[in-house]
Amino acid sequence: MIRTENLTKRFGDNLAVDDLTLEVAQGEVFGFLGPNGAGKTTTMRMLSALISPTSGAAWVNGHQVGVDDAAIRADIGLLTETPGLYPRLNAEQNLGFYARLHGVEDIPRQVHIYLTLLGLWERRHEPVGGFSKGMQQKLAIARALLHEPPVLFLDEPTSALDPEAARVVRDFIETLRGEGRTIFICTHNLNEADRLCDRVAVIRQRLIRVDTPEELRRGLYGQSVMIHLEEASPSLGTLVEDLPFVRTVTETPEGLRVALDDPETNNPALVRVLVGAGAGIRFVERESHSLEQVYFDLMRESEVAA
Amino acid sequence: MNGERIKAVISKEWMDMGENKLVLMMMALLPILLVGMILGTVYFMERAPEADFEPGTGSSGIALPEAMSHLDYKTGTIVLLNDQYMFYLLMIPMALPIYIAAYSIIGEKETRSLEPLLATPISTAELLVGKVTAAVVPAVILAWLSFLVTAAGMYVLASPVVFAYLVRPVWTLSMAVHAPLFALLSTSSGVIASSRMNDPRAAQQVSALFIVPVIAASMAVIMGRLYLSLDIMLWATAAMVLINVGVLWLAVRLFQREMILTRWK
Repeated sequence: MIRTENLTKRFGDNLAVDDLTLEVAQGEVFGFLGPNGAGKTTTMRMLSALISPTSGAAWVNGHQVGVDDAAIRADIGLLTETPGLYPRLNAEQNLGFYARLHGVEDIPRQVHIYLTLLGLWERRHEPVGGFSKGMQQKLAIARALLHEPPVLFLDEPTSALDPEAARVVRDFIETLRGEGRTIFICTHNLNEADRLCDRVAVIRQRLIRVDTPEELRRGLYGQSVMIHLEEASPSLGTLVEDLPFVRTVTETPEGLRVALDDPETNNPALVRVLVGAGAGIRFVERESHSLEQVYFDLMRESEVAA
Repeated sequence: MNGERIKAVISKEWMDMGENKLVLMMMALLPILLVGMILGTVYFMERAPEADFEPGTGSSGIALPEAMSHLDYKTGTIVLLNDQYMFYLLMIPMALPIYIAAYSIIGEKETRSLEPLLATPISTAELLVGKVTAAVVPAVILAWLSFLVTAAGMYVLASPVVFAYLVRPVWTLSMAVHAPLFALLSTSSGVIASSRMNDPRAAQQVSALFIVPVIAASMAVIMGRLYLSLDIMLWATAAMVLINVGVLWLAVRLFQREMILTRWK
């Protein structure tokens, strides 16, 4: 659905996006993570046919960027970082204008559907300049969806919102997941990416890593369990370290943190060895790493590599 | 070119304009003040004693051009003054689009609405045609209305000779043709300025520069240095068409999505 090959964008001497190659499947919710200035918005603008690549190529829904730009813009919905609404016009007029630009056939029906879906129907006659940030963002989402595009680009959809409004927007994006649309999200909010995205790409001008959040964790840390012991002992750590399925062992005041190939298969053997060595096991818990931790470690790795 | 998309832009611009009290006030104020000033001046001049207009004894001191030598001095002075005032009416289609364009084009920058707009299937040409039309049409209609109200007022307040001079082909042609050309020139230069500048006020000032030659021409008329014949107006029309084509071409060339998106911050 979305494909880039060695996509590169320069603004004068500034390299904004460097040699980006990735593929996003139809119906996938794809997260694009990176620090400010990493090239996220520039990539999204290239894929939205708003700016042209310096080199490389990209395709959106089968149309090539720079060749079928009008077709791309007809097939996408774009939510920019700021809602970009017309503050003196009311909600209905804002959506009606965009529906006409997209050639929507039954405009009143589409406007009614999306205003109702996002809880704005009752306030459709009010100028949107008086709306809260959350309401404006919801209206901007409605605007991006009005013409039922197969591809949706969302740039920081919840960045300017209070927690309550952000939750409403996130919940709504989650409902879109089942509709078969391809959703490409640029975000700084790593919990949001973890919750919403099937796969995430971490970029800093160049692509650093792309995978499912779970695979990113597994790739970086393996899978670890925390074994809480009655009494910690250095000899237990050495004993466990020699087991073939154990990757690393870290001793902590509570017991042992053990990274394993596959906790579900390896845990019984691990527990047997420890009990056999006289360890008193209080309980065993599976450890999880946040996507935030993954992100920061990947960024650190990329800095070291650079 | 998709006519539906152009119509959508025009109707959105007019809806937005209708909700903008400042723009509406500026649009109404300039024609009302100008027409009021013209009619008020003529009303009092028509009622002033002939002696006040005698060369050397009166206070006007205006030298009538050769082409007006058959007119008495009072009538000639009023006709000449009206010719100057007609230039002021021609400033309506130049000045108003500056206000309209400031909110129409540069306003997109302030509300950050240009990026989602450019991400729709609308082409640059469709967007500009819609925006320029939305700014030009109300300004031209207001200029025409101002001329009609002025002419009607002259019919009532001034002598038949003064009225006949006001509605002579020089001015009817000028209002019919020059008013749209001036409005188009002003709007196109506004598009160029807003494509290149980040400050809306600077963009407005660039557009305002086009008013200077019009004021200069009006001064030449009142000083008796320039008599507006039909030939001069036709030459002016040809020059205006050429200038408009050039400026419009430049405006479309300079209005580039990428540059505007990356420069308008």
